Amino acid sequence: MTDELDLVGELGSAEPLRPEAYQRARSVLRAAMADPGTVRLLGAISAEDTTMETTSTMETTTTRDHESGPAIRRRRGIGVAGRLGIGAGVGVAAAAAIVAVVLNSSATGGAVAGKDSPAAVGPAAVESAAVEGSADRAPLLTLAGSITTLTPTSGDAWLVKATQAHGTKTMQVVYTLYTDGHAIYTGDSVTDIKRAITRHQDQMKAGGYAPLLKAAVAAADSSSADGRTRMLKAAKDPLIGLDPAAQKAKWDKQQAAAAAIVKQKGGTYQPKPYNPQAVQRHFDNALWTYSTEALSAGDGNTQVRAGVLRLLSTISAVSVKDSTTDGKATLTITAGSEVFGGEGGEVLTVDATTGMLVKDVSTVPGLPEAHTTYESSRVTAADL
Amino acid sequence: MASDADLIGRSLDGDVDAFVEVVGRHEVAVGSYLARRAGRDAAEDLLGEVWVAAFESRRSYDRSYDDARPWLYGVALNRLRRYWRSRPAEDLVADVADLAAGWDPWSAVDLGVDARAVLRSALMRLKPEEREVLRLVAWEDLTAADAARALGMPAGTARRLLSQARTALRDAPGVSALLKDRNSAKERHR
Repeated sequence: MTDELDLVGELGSAEPLRPEAYQRARSVLRAAMADPGTVRLLGAISAEDTTMETTSTMETTTTRDHESGPAIRRRRGIGVAGRLGIGAGVGVAAAAAIVAVVLNSSATGGAVAGKDSPAAVGPAAVESAAVEGSADRAPLLTLAGSITTLTPTSGDAWLVKATQAHGTKTMQVVYTLYTDGHAIYTGDSVTDIKRAITRHQDQMKAGGYAPLLKAAVAAADSSSADGRTRMLKAAKDPLIGLDPAAQKAKWDKQQAAAAAIVKQKGGTYQPKPYNPQAVQRHFDNALWTYSTEALSAGDGNTQVRAGVLRLLSTISAVSVKDSTTDGKATLTITAGSEVFGGEGGEVLTVDATTGMLVKDVSTVPGLPEAHTTYESSRVTAADL
Repeated sequence: MASDADLIGRSLDGDVDAFVEVVGRHEVAVGSYLARRAGRDAAEDLLGEVWVAAFESRRSYDRSYDDARPWLYGVALNRLRRYWRSRPAEDLVADVADLAAGWDPWSAVDLGVDARAVLRSALMRLKPEEREVLRLVAWEDLTAADAARALGMPAGTARRLLSQARTALRDAPGVSALLKDRNSAKERHR
């Protein structure tokens, strides 16, 4: 029996939103959570350009669980202290931040042909499978060791200006002051930084990145395995510390949830089976993402830099080579596509003497290249 | 599983991901709602604004309600109203029936062009608040009480408006004949 409500209901068909639209909307939300200023920034650019946090493939997991097993993370923004600051009392003070958003692994399967050891089973093996960087990544360990002995020749702080662009569009400019006393103050201008100093808004202590920064500092003086575990725990990775059975249960649950979401949005998704290699890739992806977030937030802190360099040296898909940037000796650190589910990559360029960030370039197929340039100078905080 | 109200509470306590989980639960429904009212392109632009507006106003959420969807529809409707106000009249889709016909051939086949015109005419004769309640019930599968939450009105008022709307529709020229045709056709196919 058809009634008038049924008839009206038949008028209510609508063309479904494209999957990337959901992703983009969540990016806007996450940016707003990090800082209202970002929303204004995003609003100022075209919808086409705000597809920055999408993939070319169907979503495979929800962003609500950013620690989920199968999710592939990418960092396409400046890691600004305060990103997680909602509830930590720093959100408003933080500079505009395009936040890192969980990106999706390919619906057709992001598995990378196995370079991994098939023998790794159990949490200890999985969490330490990539420890102690190979000879290829030895320069990272060397640099990590040398920068802790450097003595700055002038000033009492690093002032870093980070300029992020997607394609040719400048997305944001962030200033951060790193004092030699290990305090971090950030803002979208030097005036903002001075205000943060007055208000004692030290991101090292209270900012949303504080847990990652502390884990990076700890990694500077701990074994590679301990450093990895601590960073992953700081990032609240859901699989770290679990035995294989518990990992598998969590993994399968996330895969099922991902499949349900994709189905709901009209796609098909083949759940990826749990295995140690997949978990290893998950850990490497998380370690790269959170370590580099810590680096971009804590770039001017020597211990943070040293710890992050050590952590990156444990990722087998990371390669390092000597380079020159604007006449200065640099190291180019490349995270291959294996780190990101088989698509895209990220390249960090750091000063070969200080380890300070020079450039960060992130590529995702189908999206404008995201690049951030860092200009660092020694200053005296009182003279700002 | 935590209720939406629990997640919003956790969000107010600083759990960043809790609110994103709420969004994940309702994004398809709210996206569809926006698309029905403004077309897909506008809906895709508006969806992020809806989440931000909801996030910013989550403190006002009545956590005695487990399900946040009606509240989110209300937030979405507010954004739609702002969107409509900001657009020149000629840019707006004149009627929802046009939207539906624009993409879904089966809708047009089922209803037929004449039938859509009849319904469109009948809907346009309803009072705006009657149409809002009717749309939320017929399109979004809300109860009258949930539609009331979305529209910020007492449940009794929404029930009355829905009843008025249904009566007006049944009495509208052509609609009763349409219903009779539909139901007799079904009888013949039994």
